[in-house]
Amino acid sequence: MVIKVVLADDHPLTREGFKSYLEGKEDIKLVGEASDGESAWEVIKEQLPDVALIDIRMPGIDGVSLVRRVRQEGLNVACLMLTSYDAQQYVLASLRAGAKGYILKTASPEELLRAIEIVASQGVYLDKEVALAVEEPGFSPEQLSPREREVLLLAGRGESSKEIASKLFISERTVQTHLASIYDKLGARNKTEALLLALKYGVVTLEELLE
Amino acid sequence: MILTLLVLIPSLAILIVTGWGVVEHERAMKKIAESYVLDLAQSVAARVDRPRFMHRAQMMTSSRALDSFVLDVSLPGWVALVDESGNLLAASSRAQDVLPQIWQGGIPVGRTTLVEGPFGDTYTIAAIPTSQGWYVISAVSWSQLLGPMVRFSHLWPAAVGLLAIVGMCAVWAFWRWLIMPLLSLESEVSALKWGKDLPKPDDPPAVWELRRLRKVLYQLAQTAREREELRQRYVSDLVRVQEEERTKLAREIHDGPLQDVTALLQRILLLKQESWNERAEKYIEIAKESAVAAVRELRALCDTLSPPWLDLGLAQALTELTDRLARTYGVKIYLESSELPEVSKDIILAFFRITQEAINNAVKHGCAKNIWVKASYDGEFVVLQIEDDGSGFEFEGDVEALRVKGHRGIANMVERMRMIKGKIDVQSSSLEKGTTITCKVSFPFTGEETP
Repeated sequence: MVIKVVLADDHPLTREGFKSYLEGKEDIKLVGEASDGESAWEVIKEQLPDVALIDIRMPGIDGVSLVRRVRQEGLNVACLMLTSYDAQQYVLASLRAGAKGYILKTASPEELLRAIEIVASQGVYLDKEVALAVEEPGFSPEQLSPREREVLLLAGRGESSKEIASKLFISERTVQTHLASIYDKLGARNKTEALLLALKYGVVTLEELLE
Repeated sequence: MILTLLVLIPSLAILIVTGWGVVEHERAMKKIAESYVLDLAQSVAARVDRPRFMHRAQMMTSSRALDSFVLDVSLPGWVALVDESGNLLAASSRAQDVLPQIWQGGIPVGRTTLVEGPFGDTYTIAAIPTSQGWYVISAVSWSQLLGPMVRFSHLWPAAVGLLAIVGMCAVWAFWRWLIMPLLSLESEVSALKWGKDLPKPDDPPAVWELRRLRKVLYQLAQTAREREELRQRYVSDLVRVQEEERTKLAREIHDGPLQDVTALLQRILLLKQESWNERAEKYIEIAKESAVAAVRELRALCDTLSPPWLDLGLAQALTELTDRLARTYGVKIYLESSELPEVSKDIILAFFRITQEAINNAVKHGCAKNIWVKASYDGEFVVLQIEDDGSGFEFEGDVEALRVKGHRGIANMVERMRMIKGKIDVQSSSLEKGTTITCKVSFPFTGEETP
């Protein structure tokens, strides 16, 4: 099965570079490209690719808004963010908007191909430079309790400890305790990392995160 | 104040001394009239008591003759002789007309009495008994006896009273047009925040010189305020221009060099896929590493200048910032942001910069280990609070003093809050109790400054 790909990046040289990455691959076919958000939307709508490689910062509509539109229109297109930025909040914002993956532009051709394959088959791909900042070799996460999972999900949707506390009918202090335990179990240093790691380990799914 | 008292006290003293003088004078006059009347009556009584008198009196046929014999006195006053039943035996000239008018029943015998006459004149009257059982009545009118002295005694208090009234009026005018305006000007000027407040431009009740002085002060205060406004505008412009430049530079780095180096890295990565000899492969690897380092450095530069992820919103921007700073400094930063509305870019930028500055200060100067950042919204104000457990610093609320000492951090925060029409409060002391910075801005912006 050939994976149809659309590439949206406003910088011609990097766009050319990514095209070269995809060239000559039998199972991947570049079906369209765009240099701004608006034309990217047109191309995606028209071509309905399996995977759309989207730059977060583009003239016109920005990448995150474009992903949100793809999801809201119900298009069956897996969006993979392609950016220069390593800000975890970008990753989280993209995932909440409906992106299936996040890869830095500095990634090698092999990594890009792997990411495309993973998101095309409904998986989640997170660039290791962003999501796995603290990954230690041989580390395996401890099982989260159902309550901890709930807390993590609500935190992932951007809710504060106070809001989580009132939703789960527990005290704010308990929420903090849960979060500390979650960080410990996943090897994370903050909420964002905990969430990205939980996604990576399959503790939570992308769908549960959606806005 | 003291000047007024200096005028007021002598005025009052004169009034009191004068009043006392008038009373004393009145008493002296009374004494004179009393002794005069008594002397008169007693001398007549003595004459009547002589044995020759009776003999002569019996020889007198007409009462007129008796009158002149008994009471022929060429002194002011009136004298009359009455028997025990009140019948007039003899009277000096005009005494017959005057005495009945001023004689009132119940006048005691043997001493003098003060009587008010029918024409507003004052009389002293006395009745002295003789050995025959008759009475000598004598009276004198004050105006007749003491004429000019009485007039003087009436004129003197009037003149002094007038003087006192004029003095009081002068004191009042002095107070009203000079002292009061001067006092109010003094209190206004001493309470004036130079460069911020203005005194009242005019004070109509004040004397011309004071009004002129007030006008000059008003103009000075106005100039100071304009200068302060200019200075503040200059500082805001500096901050704004700096921020604009940073954003522009960050965007240019992102869209230019960062993309170019990324494109370069892509080509190196493509090259790497070909087969090369060992040396070429080594060079390619070094080139790749350099390109990767360049991309990271450029990205870091963008983040330092003006991070593009500020566009994501206040909560995300604060999360990213606190995560990064916690990693960089190895401290614990607890961020709590709840139910924040989609605030304007200006507010995000201001809160971002303030948080950045506050955390940097807390770690670098206060050696804080824990920092709490809290952003909240109560439907009216967006509030940002940054608290740390560092050593704190001596702060008495004077931002300018800090700026003068070279600590621009707090001054910059104040400036940023001023630019978004918000308020900032800094609580700190050098008692190891840390620092708490609270920023507050109304949202949606109502056009009014945050109280």
